[in-house]
Formats: sequence, structure tokens, C-alpha cells
Amino acid sequence: MAGTVHFPYQYRLRRTALKALVAGMMSACLLSAQFLPGAHVILAKDLPTVSEEIFAMDTYMSISASGEAAREAVDASLEEIRRLDDLWSVGNEDSEVARLNRHESVELSEDTRSILERAIQIGTDTEGAFDITIFPLMQEWGFTTGDYKVPSDKRRSELLRYVDVSALDMDMDGACSLPENVQIDLGGIAKGYTSDRAMEIFEEYGVDGGIVSLGGNVETYRTKADGSAWRVGIRNPDPSVPALLGSELTGIVQASDLAVITSGGYERYFEKDGITYHHILDPGTGMPADSGLISVTIVSRDGCLADALSTSLFVMGKEKALEYWETHSDSFDVILVEEDGKITVTRGLDGIFSSELKYEIYPEG
Amino acid sequence: MGKRDIMLLAALFAVGAMLFVFFRFNRAEGARAVVRVSGEEYGSYDLTMDQTVEIHGRDGGTNLLQIQDGKASVTEASCPDLLCVHQGKVSRQGESIICLPNEVVVEITGAMEEVPYDVISG
Repeated sequence: MAGTVHFPYQYRLRRTALKALVAGMMSACLLSAQFLPGAHVILAKDLPTVSEEIFAMDTYMSISASGEAAREAVDASLEEIRRLDDLWSVGNEDSEVARLNRHESVELSEDTRSILERAIQIGTDTEGAFDITIFPLMQEWGFTTGDYKVPSDKRRSELLRYVDVSALDMDMDGACSLPENVQIDLGGIAKGYTSDRAMEIFEEYGVDGGIVSLGGNVETYRTKADGSAWRVGIRNPDPSVPALLGSELTGIVQASDLAVITSGGYERYFEKDGITYHHILDPGTGMPADSGLISVTIVSRDGCLADALSTSLFVMGKEKALEYWETHSDSFDVILVEEDGKITVTRGLDGIFSSELKYEIYPEG
Repeated sequence: MGKRDIMLLAALFAVGAMLFVFFRFNRAEGARAVVRVSGEEYGSYDLTMDQTVEIHGRDGGTNLLQIQDGKASVTEASCPDLLCVHQGKVSRQGESIICLPNEVVVEITGAMEEVPYDVISG
């Protein structure tokens, strides 16, 4: 651009041109500095921030921490993610879950036992809206492989017979195996369990603040380097809905020591004969949940719970989801987005949730 | 105030204004689409230059990155789900397009317009 600048008075100002140029540059620098984005951030960031990314658990993950031991904490978190992925991946035939699914007798590791206990407990508490035994149907639909197909009604009802979280009521001390025809997938809870582990690691290493996003499952540790809460944007599930039009986000949650986990049909889906089929299957029907909700965000100190509930409340639908919240409001809050773009936010988020869009706080008043 | 002083002031202002515009423009040019494959930086592309880049991802997978009118999008890809193509155009700092099967991440950095969040849940 500089080469194209023409200065019509140049010939009359030969002696002062240089002075003018110098003074002009100085004023330009002053003017620019004021608008320089991020200038204040550089000042606030006197501690190193370490960020890494990793593809694991069939998703993209990023891990970030600041403070003196940030490097060690982030490396330890990556190692933990790989370790847990190796335990639970359905694609890795040596994983404990893959071996259980082949109906081998498996001596469970402590982590597998504890995630199974959580999965069963949440499954029972949500009356089966969350159910890790949905795996054979996930496979039949092709959501585990990307080889999508719509199962026949017959095949679906055959497989549904073995979807039953209470079938997992088993003694997990010592070697144990799954009941006949029952198979499991920890995909709906593993990332939450893993982000909780990352928070524990951040705590052990004494980092000043940190954040992880495991495929859009976010969990925050303390605050940003400048002491302010992490700003977690909630993805707009469908910008083509008139009430949500043109907005990238449904809103922003200011989070500190909280998991913010969202489930929506947009995460994984395919189209067949003009119909869109998404990956959140209703364990009651074996079909993609059609509850009128298009996105559910759970905010909780418990990432494992938040992960499992984001899918279960999606399956339940608005009315049941809010009923469930009423009896569990001490352990989580929720943001619900309906097909028509209506946004409902539970009372505990009042003050930390903000949005350009219209939303309602539940319960009113 | 002599004629020369006025000229000097005018010149000062003109040069200052032009440099100011120049610096601002330059920063806008700083916006880039940074591509990483399996966590390793693959390339960085100027958002002001319309271009098409073939990205060679993991296991021979490919994604076609198109930069047009200051926006980046993946227009074609070898992955089965094509979620990267469905993600549409990104142009603001911190926005990204991710292709899981090919382990490709396209992230916008250094843009003028910063997003008001640190991370997205969803």
C-alpha cells in the first residue's frame, strides 16, 4: 500500500517533509497502539500458558493451562487421556470395553469400574434415558463406524430387547462379564469422566487456571490468567431457525470450576431419502430422539454427570427434563433449546448466563 | 501562524492519517487460516488472498480448503461424514473447522474481530 501513496505538496515541503514524516509516524503509532487488539492481554499474561491438542476418543481435544507447572500438568493430562482411551475405546480390540463386548471375563481396572458404577447409577436415576447398553443399536445405525444405515423395524426391536441398564447389575469385584447379547459403549460419559480427571491433574500440579475441550465438552479449572471467569460459548444448534437466526451462539456461560457440556443432533448425523437421522438414540425406541429439543447444555461441577445428563435430558424432552432438574437442582443447571428456537435456562444460571437472544429463566419469578 | 506552519500541520495530519490507515489495513491482512494435521502445523494461509489449498491429512485423506472474500471453508473432503464441509465458512479469530477422520484442524488466527468467548461447548 505504501508505494501507492501520493503526496501532492511534497515538492514545496522538501525541508519539512522529513520532520513531518517522523512526526506523522509517531502520531500514527500512538493512534494505532490504542486500537491494537490484544495489547492488554500481553500485559496480563505474565505466566506461561501451555496448550496442546490431541485426537482421541473419536474426537478432537484441546487442553490448556497456565502457571508454573502448566507444561507438566498438560503433558500429564494428555497421557491420562491416552490411557483412558486405551481402556474404553470400542475400536481398540484390546480395550476393556471391547473385551467385555466380546463377552470375555475381564478383571476391571479401577477407572472402568468407577465409570461403570457412575453410568449405571445415572442410568437408573434417569429411568433409562441414559443407557450405555444402547451400543448394539448405535452400531446397527452405523454411528460407531460412519457406515450409516436405517435399521428395519424388525431388526430394531430385536436389538432393543438387550438394551437394559439394569442388566448391568453385576458384581464388579474380581473378574466379571456382560450378560449374553448385552454390549456397552461409554461414549456418552467417557469424555466427562476424562475432563474431571484433567481437573484433578490440574489441581495436583497446582496450575493457576486451565480449560479443556474434549470434542466440545468443556470443563474449566479456576479462572483465566487475568482472574476473570472462562467465557464458554454455547453453539447455536440451528442458525436457520428464525428465532436463532444469524447468531453463532445460543449464549455465553461464565464458568469457573464448572463443566459446560452440550448435546445436539448436529454433532453427528446423516441424511437418507430427505430425512435427517442424528446420533442421539432414544433407548426406549432405538430411534434418534425426537423430543422437540435441538440442544441441551448441562452446567455442573461434575463433568461425568454433565456429560451423561446432556444426552439423557435431550432424550427426555423439555417437560421431563425440567422435572428432573427440579429434583436434582443442587447438582446441575441446564440450558434447553427447542425446535422453534425457544431457550429455557434454569435459575442457577441467572447471573452467569448471557445471550443476545431471547430466553426464559425457569422457574419464573 | 505562517503559511508554512499550516502546511506543516496539514502534512503532519495527512501523513499520520495515511500511516494510521496503512497500519490498520496491515493488521487486517494478518488474519490467517492456520492448518494443523494430527496436531502438527501444516500451513498458514492469508485470508485476504483468494486461494484453494489441498490438505493432505492422516492416512491419505484430503480436504480442499477454499479461501474467498476473507472467509475459509472446506469445500470438498475425502472423509465419509463430510462434517467439515457442513461446517461452512469461518472468518473470525478463534473459529475453526475440524475434520476428525483426517485429523485436520483449520483455525482462524490474528483476525481483527475477536470473538467474545474462549471456547465453544457443543
